[in-house]
Amino acid sequence: MTSPAHHARLKALAESMKAEETDVLVLFGNNWHADHLRYATDFGIQEGQGIALVRADGSTTLILDDAAEADRAKDETQTCEIVYAPSLVKEARNLLSREGNRKIGAAPFHLLPYGLLHGEKDLRVADGTNVIERLLMTKLEIEMDAVRRAAKLADEGYAIFRDAARPGRKDYELVAEIETFFRTKGVAENFMIIGVGGQEVRGMAPPGGKVLKQGDMVTTELTPCVDGYYSQICRTLVVGEANEAQKQAFAVYLEAMEAGIATVAAGVTAAQVAKAENDVFRKYGLGDYVTSEYTRVRGHGMGLFPDQKPQILEDVHIPLETGMTIIVHPNTYHPAVGYFVLGDSLIVRDKGHELLCGTPRQLFSVTSH
Amino acid sequence: MRRGLMQWNPQELPRNALDTRLALLREGLRAEKLDGFVAYTNIARGAAVAWLSGFQPYWNEGLFYVATGGDVPLFATALSKRVAEWIGSVMPVGEVVTTPKPALLIGQKIAHTSGKRIGILELDDFPAGHAQLLLETAPGIELIDATNAFARARAHVDDAERHLLDHAARLADAGLAGIDPARATSARDLLGPCDEQARKGGAEECFATIAPDLARSGSYLRTDTVGPLGKSFAVRSSLAYKTAWVRRARSFTSDPSLATAFAQAEAALEAFKAPEAGRLDPALRAHFAGNGMEVRSWLAEQPRGGYPLTRVAGSNQGEDVWQAGAPFVLDIELSLGDARWLGAKLIA
Repeated sequence: MTSPAHHARLKALAESMKAEETDVLVLFGNNWHADHLRYATDFGIQEGQGIALVRADGSTTLILDDAAEADRAKDETQTCEIVYAPSLVKEARNLLSREGNRKIGAAPFHLLPYGLLHGEKDLRVADGTNVIERLLMTKLEIEMDAVRRAAKLADEGYAIFRDAARPGRKDYELVAEIETFFRTKGVAENFMIIGVGGQEVRGMAPPGGKVLKQGDMVTTELTPCVDGYYSQICRTLVVGEANEAQKQAFAVYLEAMEAGIATVAAGVTAAQVAKAENDVFRKYGLGDYVTSEYTRVRGHGMGLFPDQKPQILEDVHIPLETGMTIIVHPNTYHPAVGYFVLGDSLIVRDKGHELLCGTPRQLFSVTSH
Repeated sequence: MRRGLMQWNPQELPRNALDTRLALLREGLRAEKLDGFVAYTNIARGAAVAWLSGFQPYWNEGLFYVATGGDVPLFATALSKRVAEWIGSVMPVGEVVTTPKPALLIGQKIAHTSGKRIGILELDDFPAGHAQLLLETAPGIELIDATNAFARARAHVDDAERHLLDHAARLADAGLAGIDPARATSARDLLGPCDEQARKGGAEECFATIAPDLARSGSYLRTDTVGPLGKSFAVRSSLAYKTAWVRRARSFTSDPSLATAFAQAEAALEAFKAPEAGRLDPALRAHFAGNGMEVRSWLAEQPRGGYPLTRVAGSNQGEDVWQAGAPFVLDIELSLGDARWLGAKLIA
């Protein structure tokens, strides 16, 4: 039994392996980088590490170094052979040595365990990034459906977040409410960071125990995962009524986000989208705040990994393709009000985009209940 | 990713506890004639760096370098520049540098100090890209597996760690305490509150899983794949408080014919104490006996290296690496006549 999305991915992967003349693809992953493993096995790894050996004939072996995870994998995935091995490297080398002189590719290559490549006898394993990278970036229609469902839950999650944010509450209590909501909706993973305060706040991070107070801005990005696929929303709210400076700042971020989104279409580069966003900041004399000193990226791809290529930056010239799922978010520090976020997820289409987020684009105000 | 409370509290984790841990590691490095030590960290394998520094990256990856000679440790991370100051606020030891290429920076530091024999925690599992960059940046260095050197230092369990573990165990208990099998309607509905209680109490992470129908299987599943709830089920909370990891699992039943046996098994788990000497297996089999109880399988986990918990003993393996006298998590499966019962607990 395989899910329709997994079935479609396996077909695409087999075609790509054939095109890249790869006989065996070695995919490595863990709870941080779960995307490559998930693509081929549909298993969402939580603890330990795993290696999947995908062969040209479609047969796949998933090796896991955590016994409970191996048990879970046996329950959840029926399309591959599951092997529990306390030494991942030893077992993978053992299995690969049986593949003879077949052409072996591996990804993500830089994260592969050192011992897999260097042992008593070095294995000849090539960088297999080309086999899978494009598949991870450009989604099939059936994959987009999961991203849409994740975006819907991101919207619902933000409504929970807004409702939870009130004076006197600790930042991690807000996270707890979101997580509870997501667990009951079948969401096992969520990428989420938060910022609470004013001008002194330079970015978002995990909660540190700050207590919300009147006048604070609360920034967050929620990124729930549905069937392995992530979708993100970024919004800022004010505890109490927004002041004039906060309203003016919001207007800049809104204009920048909308300029970026209006640029999105197949064939446009990530750099062009970033430039459209950043030009708005420059127009208002805020050009310094679109540099790496204050911001990381102006958006990014999402899929089986919450922050995948293409990164939306003015020096990234990857052309957007139909089926890429991205977020456009001009998140950065604003000198008058502090770190500010606003972002919506989209699917790139031939002539434009499909907007996934439905939460109003506004600077929310929350008051005591 | 880690999205619960991340905060350094010097009352909970005093700086001198971390200094002692680093001193123990350096002692081990000197004994093995190593010039320095590098440990890799990410959310799956962050425990060693967390034990040495108090810090667990919430996302992305990093390398922690300890020179045997006693320089300030260096933490090089691919997390972005704007969170460097935040890392410094929650990581009490070490210099923090953000860089897209942590191994390049560490390699330069090693080359600058003329280090030659560099110990790597779990060398076989160390990311090959980082290893390659270290070798290129510090020509002539030798990478040597330092897993055992680290494990010897890690055998030291201080009061700070014991207190953090106790707190984590209380959070896990709180998460499971609210479960009422008579009112449970779906497996997902049980996992939400379990997560909520833990995180509201300050858990840094919580993996709440459920074996939804013990009559069918004893595998713990996540909320995304869980099936219908049976009459008997088990919920397991694996959670971290300030980087200290525990597991707690309880079995529940709405079958009146099993209620007494389930309660007796839970009471037996509560009462279990590790033997001061000798092997765990006979002690467990003797303790969990009577009233139709029989041990089907068990597993003991302790923190030893990069993983938060490492399997150190079990019914299907020896007990060579189990550290008697140190806290461990016991995961156990019992037969109660025809019924399956699962439990897990920190044995402190």
